[in-house]
Amino acid sequence: MNELGKKLARIAFDERGADYLLAMREEHGNVAPSMIRKGEDAGDVRVDLPYQLVNILSNIYPWVPKGRIAVVCRRCDEKALNEIIKRNLMDRDRLILIGLACTREQVALCRCSDPVPSKVDIGEANAPVREDPLMVKLDSMSQQDRLKFWTSEFRKCNKCFGCTLNCPVCFCDDCVLEEHTFTPELGIPPSFAFHLVRSMHMSDKCIECGECERSCAGGIPLLTLRKMANRDMKRMFGYEAGDKEKVSPLLTTLEGKLLEDGEHVC
Amino acid sequence: MTEFNPTILAFCCNWCSYAGADLAGVSRLQMPPNVHVVRVMCSASVKPEYIFKSLVQGIDGVLVLGCHIGDCHYLTGNHRTAKRVPIAQKLLDDVGVDSRRVKLDWVSAAEGEKFQQVITEFVDEIKGLGPNPMRGVRL
Repeated sequence: MNELGKKLARIAFDERGADYLLAMREEHGNVAPSMIRKGEDAGDVRVDLPYQLVNILSNIYPWVPKGRIAVVCRRCDEKALNEIIKRNLMDRDRLILIGLACTREQVALCRCSDPVPSKVDIGEANAPVREDPLMVKLDSMSQQDRLKFWTSEFRKCNKCFGCTLNCPVCFCDDCVLEEHTFTPELGIPPSFAFHLVRSMHMSDKCIECGECERSCAGGIPLLTLRKMANRDMKRMFGYEAGDKEKVSPLLTTLEGKLLEDGEHVC
Repeated sequence: MTEFNPTILAFCCNWCSYAGADLAGVSRLQMPPNVHVVRVMCSASVKPEYIFKSLVQGIDGVLVLGCHIGDCHYLTGNHRTAKRVPIAQKLLDDVGVDSRRVKLDWVSAAEGEKFQQVITEFVDEIKGLGPNPMRGVRL
């Protein structure tokens, strides 16, 4: 057990009364997410990987009927969990968040404007990055050039669905992107519509974790596209995803009342 | 060179705008012939996906027409549309497609003249914008 493992186990099991701890663990030189039971040896826990545990948590949550789960959470994980809890897919009382502050390199990688978790347990809080250089560049471009830029980027897509599978806030049972109407079975790269549809669906829940960009095999700057969409949402509705209480504007009427079938609409 | 004739898709809601279009036709109002009307049960059943797909496939402009706010047959259907369409427009702007190619308007069953006016103005606007830049794009 390394120092970090000891510290995490102490915080999760002794101080906060968790039954499970979800963290990244190194075994035989490989790092993988693992669920550590109370009393079990925590092992060599690692937190230096820019990897989100919320996705793993969403997958195993239905299989853990009892007990409280402690998760190592960055600020973006925290926001993702807020979105998930708001849609009644998880119970807040069953989760214990262990705040992890991102290193300066990780903040720079995500161009993150909100990197500090509400409670820092591990790591040191770093200053946010104010703007995304690519977004500034795109804003100064003409419309034709912007279309040309995104065309050349989207050409690299090989429809691996990595952006969808690794997204912590993609939680629909039936994904619209798997419908052949919008993404034909044949044809790589998929059309422009693939990325636009994804943008639309993420518009009220993207928490800018950057997992899509990191998992993109083609290296498409998807995080910049998300950031642009989020900026639009903020300007139009004053809404930012990841808030504990605020309901998405897509789920309310123009007067702000909750729509009748207020369940999560994708 | 021949004049540019845009192809325009108009999603009309069954309860108001389609009846409005019907009225415009019955009243023999003159309208440009570029518009293809698609009848939908409510403007809220026009998923933004359909807007994107039609633009990607080379349609020059998309009109979404619904009942006036408060008159929706399904009570809050057009509230959804009123929020979705502006987002779709913004997203199109972000990737470099003119957001004026998508337009949302409200036409009631009694507004045949307004239907004519909306269609005429939109066709003129799209003619000014030129062909859809995504038509030639091969990804």
